[in-house]
Amino acid sequence: MTLNADISASIHLTDEQLAACISDIVREIFELMVAMPTVKPLPSTAQIDASVCGVTGMLGFAGTYNGLISLHCPVELALGITSHMLGCDCNEVNDDLRDAIGEVANMLGGNVKRVLSKGGLDVRLSIPTVIFGGEHAVNVLSDPDCLVVAFDADGGVLLIGLTLKKE
Amino acid sequence: MANVLIVDDSSTMRKIISRSLRQAGLPVDDIYEACDGIDGLNVLASGKSIQLILSDINMPNMDGLEFVKTVRGNGNTTPIVMVTTEGGEDIIQEAIENGASGSIKKPFTPGQLEEKLGALL
Repeated sequence: MTLNADISASIHLTDEQLAACISDIVREIFELMVAMPTVKPLPSTAQIDASVCGVTGMLGFAGTYNGLISLHCPVELALGITSHMLGCDCNEVNDDLRDAIGEVANMLGGNVKRVLSKGGLDVRLSIPTVIFGGEHAVNVLSDPDCLVVAFDADGGVLLIGLTLKKE
Repeated sequence: MANVLIVDDSSTMRKIISRSLRQAGLPVDDIYEACDGIDGLNVLASGKSIQLILSDINMPNMDGLEFVKTVRGNGNTTPIVMVTTEGGEDIIQEAIENGASGSIKKPFTPGQLEEKLGALL
């Protein structure tokens, strides 16, 4: 899955270059803010089962281009991320988890927005939204115009999806 | 020692900033928290002695830019540093034109906090 070719041309970045930017941003966030420096990108050829991702954090882009940046991970990884960020154990899906995953999505969205803005795109960010539950389906990841970058984070799968469409 | 007000809609980020201020060894005494610009104005109106304000930009109810404008409009000259993921020059420039003292990009290290805030404390 790749970004729409028109979008790639507009930001002057190939999918590979944008995926590399996202990898750098994710590694920086996880090293400095989450205190999980072991996160590493998985090969683009890796077979990923998005149905294991029970937690989704996302932000909308609006402006000349509309879209969505989202992160998806299993509940166990979300609990680990929350525990690392807060410096105490988080053992259940609660407001702390929603806030922590929302903030990771916020940092991800803000930093990706900077990359897109440098490429010339006029975009604004929404406030993050977090949803969870085994029954929720992640339709955006199956959108053919969604760029998906996968990571291994402490043994759990972390998926980042980016979709942009011209208004 | 200085008292600091952190304005951010994420309780997680407020906790991380508080922890990082201590880790950076900055001369910080009391740390007050507010969940958006309106809450921040209420803390300032309560009469607490605050020597530095750290504010997010992208927040519900009242965002960081509006918060800076309102604080300055009220005649308050306390230094305000924007702590934000949106390090775009246009937004930071707008915040500075409205009275912000500088900016720190999230994610950050305690060392970067020390570097940016040391002179203000």
